[in-house]
Amino acid sequence: MNTQQTAQLKSSANGFARRRSERESGMRLENKHQSGKLNQNRSMNAKSPSRDRLVYLSTCLIGHPVEVRLKNGSIYSGTCHTTNVEQEFAIILKMARMTKDASYRGSKQEYVMKAPSKTLIIPGKEVAEVIAKDVPVTVAGQSNELQNERHEDILIDSSISHSRHVELDRELSPWVPDEDDPQCPGLENIFDGPWNRGWDQFETNKMLFGVKSTFDEELYTTRLEKGPRMRELEREATRIAREIEGEDTEDLHLAEERGINLGEDFDGDEEVRFSSVIRGRGLDDSGYDEDEDILLDKRNTETFGDVPASSGAKTDHLHRGTSNDSAGALLTSSVDEPQCSQSSNGSEFFQSNTYDHCRQQADDLPCKSSTSDCNGRNPEILRVAQGHDSINASIETKTVAVDGKLSKSNESQSAENSQTAGFDRGGLLADAPSVTSSVKEMPPTEPEVVYVKADGESSGVSACRQPGTFASGSDHAGATSASSHPAVSPSSSLIGSSSSENSTLNPHAKEFKFNPNAKSFTPSHSSPVRPPSPVSDGSYYFTPNVTTLPQMHGMPVGIGMGPSYSGHQHVLFNPQVAPLRSPQPYFHPSGPQYGQQMNLGHPRQVLYMPGYQPVSSSQHL
Amino acid sequence: MEGSSSSRSDEDFAVGCMLSIKTTLGDEFDGQVVTFDRPSNILVLQEGLKLGPRRNIRFLKTNYIKEFSFLGQSEDPLDIKKCYIDLQSLQAREELALRQAEADAERIGVGVTTQAQGIFDALFKTLPVRWDKTSIVVMNEVRVSSPYLPENVIGGTPAANDRVKKVLELERRRLQTRGPGP
Repeated sequence: MNTQQTAQLKSSANGFARRRSERESGMRLENKHQSGKLNQNRSMNAKSPSRDRLVYLSTCLIGHPVEVRLKNGSIYSGTCHTTNVEQEFAIILKMARMTKDASYRGSKQEYVMKAPSKTLIIPGKEVAEVIAKDVPVTVAGQSNELQNERHEDILIDSSISHSRHVELDRELSPWVPDEDDPQCPGLENIFDGPWNRGWDQFETNKMLFGVKSTFDEELYTTRLEKGPRMRELEREATRIAREIEGEDTEDLHLAEERGINLGEDFDGDEEVRFSSVIRGRGLDDSGYDEDEDILLDKRNTETFGDVPASSGAKTDHLHRGTSNDSAGALLTSSVDEPQCSQSSNGSEFFQSNTYDHCRQQADDLPCKSSTSDCNGRNPEILRVAQGHDSINASIETKTVAVDGKLSKSNESQSAENSQTAGFDRGGLLADAPSVTSSVKEMPPTEPEVVYVKADGESSGVSACRQPGTFASGSDHAGATSASSHPAVSPSSSLIGSSSSENSTLNPHAKEFKFNPNAKSFTPSHSSPVRPPSPVSDGSYYFTPNVTTLPQMHGMPVGIGMGPSYSGHQHVLFNPQVAPLRSPQPYFHPSGPQYGQQMNLGHPRQVLYMPGYQPVSSSQHL
Repeated sequence: MEGSSSSRSDEDFAVGCMLSIKTTLGDEFDGQVVTFDRPSNILVLQEGLKLGPRRNIRFLKTNYIKEFSFLGQSEDPLDIKKCYIDLQSLQAREELALRQAEADAERIGVGVTTQAQGIFDALFKTLPVRWDKTSIVVMNEVRVSSPYLPENVIGGTPAANDRVKKVLELERRRLQTRGPGP
């Protein structure tokens, strides 16, 4: 009967019936603790609503702290365990303490504490009054209460800091720095360029520990060729940077960075202004879909400015990139670009794009911004890019110059390729010169050239994966020999290697032959990392026909092509890339080193091992 | 008598009445009648004007009403439709409260004055303290016995001893500035 009552309690929709069963449940509880038999019949027959209310309210007290005043004046506090309001208000308290002893006549200060009683049964005859505060009498109160208590159990920070036992001895006010407190003292010194600092870590190390350093800065960055056009390029770069930074933006963080005043009455505390967590936007990480594309498009627009709509959203990105390039090399809109800074404009374009998006979308869609074009692959890359902190300012400087040059050449190229898929134009701009050269070398037609660019881009992007090890030089090299490698970063490094004098290419490697039977790779949205060897998936062949290019619109312009990239991109690995090397003044001669280093980054995606690619690729033949 | 008393009870203690009550125990308060149960003579009042889900409730036996006065008539403070009881949640709440109370009980000294308890509570905020009969044991090393003055700090390493002395002095001073007695 008891279980029945409980069930009845829960399921009964009839308020009256519920109260009746509540009463019975109340009785049940009392039965547990009182030996006396209760006259249930009487209570069941009594239909007085006032009695119902009484029982209901007294049941509400269960588990609640109450204060019981006895007729002799004593007061007990404790947690109500059960009550019996049949005749008198009898109550059983758990962990009860006598808070006021009527018989005690001494002064309050000397009142002696007593241990709390585990269970205290107070007969109804003694009870004069029962007081309870904040009793939830309706459903709303009950559910909230439990939640609150659960929270209290967890002890969140705010509950700790706003302690209930607050004894406000002093008024707390937020700290403000003194008037003469220098803003971030010493930081200016830290960020002085190494040439100013007067301290050479390698020298010091050598002196102290006899450690001979093999550090070569140029391993990690593009060597800036101080050619005659240097000044021009610099000017161009600064102009573009200023343009971008002066743009109006909706994004809070961007605005903050650019110094745009948000307005006096901006509604948002520090968290809203500075946190990278985006709240309440309903963003969802579950997978790629149209909404994300739209969101990404929006982000792209934000970062790069609106561009007249062209066919297809994806191409929009590319065109946008193009228009940006035409404006001038899109040099890092935000200086702190991830190390994926690649010399290629396109890649740069997308790098900053990526980075901006990464920043903007923080945890939500870090990779999706650029991923919109290249589904599946980018999150991985972008996350890596995002995660890495190493930013080489020198790279950027050099990159700027380089990009300026490249963009210029690209522009002409872009004009030519205007008819081709936007994609091609997108990230490949930076590689224009290399593309051009490769074009010369290779029989491929114009589309192919573009294609190479794309590869270059992808290689650039994949370089992202290997933060710190990627040099823009290799990027360009990669662009050139984009066709030469199946994997993006490997390709770039491969290219680099092929273009450098001390190539570590395996001279005995079998030439890569395109395998028409190779399985076309389709990126799975769920994970960018695919257990099977990426080499097999990303069999790239250099395609001479234009038709494949449009299919590549999925590829982000800037985002390097990873092996997980869409299968219809096939790059024919051509080990004989020697001719591609020469005309690239900006290619970093230390390309080959990247090959090794790149492997460290993401061995999964980039299975590039110098000289091995062709072999493994050929295995698929 | 019952019939008339029931009608009288309805009249006297109609639901929603605002009453000002003085009890024989010396309590005085205003409240709104939620219900009155004749057989047990229990009057349930709701204090305060808040109409939220949580109310201050008083269960008063009418025997102990010294005097009362009628302040006015208002609506039924209880919305029947919203009154549900979830026993499970009640029991969960009880368990939670018990756990909390047990934790609190650890902090309460038995047979010590309220002042001593105040000192203990103050020390408890920053130092690991526990009761040992009527002595406060700090960091399991230093003992502070009644009357809990800096002179009564015994034991422990000199450093710990000094620290406890210092904290004790500060706490005592703070307790005094805040006013004698809670």
